[in-house]
Amino acid sequence: MRRLTRVPEALVGFGILSALAVMALAASMLFPGDPLAIKGAPLLPPFQDWSLPLGTDRLGRDVLAELFHGARTSLAVGIAAAAAAIAVGAVIGTLAGFAGGIVDEVLMRITDAFQTVPSFLLALAFVSVVGPSLTVVVIAIALSAWTGPARVARAEVLSIRERDFVAGARVIGMHPLEIALREVLPNAVPPVLALSSVIVASAILIEAALSFLGLGDPNRITWGGMIAEGRTVLRSAPFLSIVPGVALVLTVLGVYLAGEGVVEGTAVRKGLS
Amino acid sequence: MSRAFLLLRRRLVGSIFVLLIVVVGTFLLLEAAPGDAVDAYLVSTGGDAGIVEAMRQSWGLDQSAATRLANYLWALLHFDLGQSVAFSRPIRDVILERLPVTLVLMGASTAVSFGLGSALGIYAGARPGSFRDRFLSTASLALYAVPGFWLALVLVIIFAVDLRWFPISGFETIASGKTGLARAGDIAHHLVLPVTSLGVIYLALYLRMMRAGMAEVWRLDFVRAARARGLSRRRIVLAHVARNALLPLVTMLGLQSAQMLGGSVVIESIFSVPGLGRLAQEAVALRDTPLLLGIILVSAVLVILINLLVDITYAFLDPRVGASEASA
Amino acid sequence: MSDFNLTRRSVLSGAALLLASTALPTIGLAQEPQKGGRLTVAADSEPRNLNPAIVASNGVFFISSKIVEPLAEADYDGKDGLSPRLAVSWEGSEDGKSVTFKLREGVTWHDGKPFSSADVAFSALQIWKPLQNLGRVVFKDLEAVETPDEHTAVFKFARPTPFQLIRNALPALTSVVPRHIYENGKIEENPANTAPIGTGPFKFAEHKAGQYYRLEKNTAYWGKNEPNLDEIVYQVLPDRSAAANALEAEEIQLAAFSAVPLADLDRISKVPGLKVVTKGYEGLTYQLVVEINHRRKELADVKVRQAIAHAIDKDFVVKTIFLGYAETASGPVPKNDKQFYTADVPAYTFDVAKANALLDEAGYKAGADGKRFKLKLLPAPYFNETKQFGDYLRQALAAIGIDAELVNNDSAAHIKAVYTDHAFDLAVGPPVFRGDPAISTTILAQSGIPDGVPFSNQGGYKSADIDGIIAKAAETLDATARTDLYKAFQKKVVEDLPFINVADWTFISVASDKVGNIADNPRWAVSNWSDTWLAK
Repeated sequence: MRRLTRVPEALVGFGILSALAVMALAASMLFPGDPLAIKGAPLLPPFQDWSLPLGTDRLGRDVLAELFHGARTSLAVGIAAAAAAIAVGAVIGTLAGFAGGIVDEVLMRITDAFQTVPSFLLALAFVSVVGPSLTVVVIAIALSAWTGPARVARAEVLSIRERDFVAGARVIGMHPLEIALREVLPNAVPPVLALSSVIVASAILIEAALSFLGLGDPNRITWGGMIAEGRTVLRSAPFLSIVPGVALVLTVLGVYLAGEGVVEGTAVRKGLS
Repeated sequence: MSRAFLLLRRRLVGSIFVLLIVVVGTFLLLEAAPGDAVDAYLVSTGGDAGIVEAMRQSWGLDQSAATRLANYLWALLHFDLGQSVAFSRPIRDVILERLPVTLVLMGASTAVSFGLGSALGIYAGARPGSFRDRFLSTASLALYAVPGFWLALVLVIIFAVDLRWFPISGFETIASGKTGLARAGDIAHHLVLPVTSLGVIYLALYLRMMRAGMAEVWRLDFVRAARARGLSRRRIVLAHVARNALLPLVTMLGLQSAQMLGGSVVIESIFSVPGLGRLAQEAVALRDTPLLLGIILVSAVLVILINLLVDITYAFLDPRVGASEASA
Repeated sequence: MSDFNLTRRSVLSGAALLLASTALPTIGLAQEPQKGGRLTVAADSEPRNLNPAIVASNGVFFISSKIVEPLAEADYDGKDGLSPRLAVSWEGSEDGKSVTFKLREGVTWHDGKPFSSADVAFSALQIWKPLQNLGRVVFKDLEAVETPDEHTAVFKFARPTPFQLIRNALPALTSVVPRHIYENGKIEENPANTAPIGTGPFKFAEHKAGQYYRLEKNTAYWGKNEPNLDEIVYQVLPDRSAAANALEAEEIQLAAFSAVPLADLDRISKVPGLKVVTKGYEGLTYQLVVEINHRRKELADVKVRQAIAHAIDKDFVVKTIFLGYAETASGPVPKNDKQFYTADVPAYTFDVAKANALLDEAGYKAGADGKRFKLKLLPAPYFNETKQFGDYLRQALAAIGIDAELVNNDSAAHIKAVYTDHAFDLAVGPPVFRGDPAISTTILAQSGIPDGVPFSNQGGYKSADIDGIIAKAAETLDATARTDLYKAFQKKVVEDLPFINVADWTFISVASDKVGNIADNPRWAVSNWSDTWLAK
């Protein structure tokens, strides 16, 4: 913790993320029931009625409840997409790096192919084709985000696989796949994890952009969905898009800052030792 | 020279495999989509069973997926992108119409984000850890965190509706009859807002890479040596530190080129710019498989070309140039 | 604009008549129409085919109705709600087997060739009947078109066809295209489909894909001193907020088909120099309908369908989702249609307790979690309002213990899921009332329609009574008797609820104060705009 306090931006980042986590956890307690339920007159401005502090949207739904529940889905989308992307990327990168030869060639050409297609376009096409639900959105984002981790993992593996402990495992007759997954992969993972904050942040933004284009899950509330809903009344009721917009920007910023703080903090510690 | 040639050939062979994967993958994805081009068309017209059947037949959609894929690949071998189902025009024409627009939009926003980003990055990185360094990098990060569409909507309201400095939408004035420089000026005027919306987001990326790179370079021996020789700080920053920190940015430029087309989908539709991103979105909505394939192929070829260009640039900016000069 | 094909309504609502008579003099007295100028209009889509004879749809008409004209256009004051265009008179025979059109003289095509009865005969037999999306229904029994002279066309039907239906179909279904352009080669692939040639007040000039369409004044137009405008430009603005912004910045002068979202109208009506016009769409009524899949055993029970009808607060829908720019619906014919509409149908008042009681009665008791059963709800994605109503309906159903899961498809996927795959329990659709129930309303309840026909009964509903009424009305020539049959149809439908009508709406235009003579007929947005003008 001490090393983090040396980076004030990281503190801010972790502050934002903790607040967010609290919001997400408290959502069901503070606002039980469906956040999409109609609670009052439509388009009530904020700070008018204290039972609906942030007012209501076009159908009369409680904006504050939507904001809290939205924190949960937005975070869930970000984390799930990043976890999926990193898991897939790490496995593919490790396999490619460890197997080498034709397997490496094929896996890397597939990675190239995914990188050649613009990631947002891929997500857009995938969601349009399969139909938007939260899971599909997560898969769509992961689909275009796994290539980065795969490349990093492969590079790590290439440098690790020649090291002593891997050679040792070979000597004692471990199956190559076992070596790859049990010895090499765990060592290749940390640098890959460093990518996670970027992926979480871009996942949240991609989800928002998809919702903006009408490709969100209508059964769940997300901040992107709220912005998309609010945009038709952007001029007459700007709070409806500003509130989730600010939440979104803060979250993405928090994720970045915290992520960088960890990286910088680690670097500082390394520098000291 | 022959080594370079071999490398190039290897790259090209690899690229063909990559393109093949992209084509087959995209085809299969759209094939799995519920509803085909006829369904998409019926949304606006309706029609009875007879019309529907006749349309599927005349658009070639009654053939099996395998046949259509084989036909497509065969045509592709002859550099024929085929016929757009949704626009009933040759895809080559449809894409060529939009490609210049996309290139101008992408080129301008890359130039803005790269130029401004690296300049600010140099400014910030000249004094690592200073207030201006921290402020610039956090502020640019905040911009990076703003969804592009949201920024675009706000820019339109402020600068196009309220202040009326710039046009709301479009690529150029309609049927203005302008040519030459006047036309270029007109296009530039129209593109200020979309380029800003697209460019500002990636600005942070280059700014932060630049300052991070510079922070590393500062610690290197040749910079210390240069300082010891008593060179001015300004000279060290520009001639040694920044120059060496520029390299990863150039690589980033190549990587980023693939993403630009995706990022422009939303911006192009907000500003009604007739580019490839918007066309791709329409192709998905209209289930125009050959058109989407054509767009993705063209953009993939572009990406491959840009990366080749990046490699050449990289050779020119070889890090050893600066280092050897400094240590000499 | 989500272009749906439409027809005019033949008889106007009282409100529209009143508006027409009060609004026109003010414009007429205040300013004389001026000549010249370019009218720039927002367009949100680019139809692949601009031939209105093949594609009778709103999106196509919006542009091509200025270039290609029908035999007659809808009119607020004219006899039978029509005013002549390429035909100057029309008359049906007693036996319902022939209709005689007298055609306008001295009309030329945009390429200079004269217009004649041969063009009408060609369009009717080669295009409307075999190729047109709506014409295939209305003109299915058209056998021949006789052309005794250059300016007379006599339509001959194999079976008696109600003249009332033909008359009601004139504005939307009878766009005439030149025979000399279309007679060679495949009609569907004719280049004139994307660069149309007609007799209208404007000529097609150019289309820049993704940017604009430009039309130029036809100096040889048959209308005296018409058109007023020099040019019409349709600027393609795909984004939903673009039209309002462009109007405010004075880059465009007109946004039709509710291109300005309803939620923004209140604000924009206060912007100086802009006016919100609710007239001019009376002939284009859309209906907000809950489509029901009767293959689901719960939904096959009429009590469950009635419970759902009782659970929907139609006033809330009109007030909140349509912000008042709609009317509650009582049945399959909209209230603003005075020709066929009847109020003599059962009413389903908003009553959650009653809905719950009906569901209990039907045997679907609530479980421990308060839920009775789950179902899939597919709102059509073409309109903001259909999607929003989907969100509302999910909540309304939750109140009566039905757990609805929303499925958000894009347009193509929605069409396939609902009308071909029947992969829905409830769907929200916007069918169009096209002035006569026979054109596109009865097929919502009629059985035996093949799979894959969009905007038809694909819910597996079958009622011998309703099928009987539809068949009888199709061969009834007497207008009064035919109207009575459609009144009986409405009553049956509302009793048995093969689908639930919630609200009816038309579109809104926002225009600059400088634009004159807008909304002067019930299909104004898709009419020829020959008298529209722009103040300098």
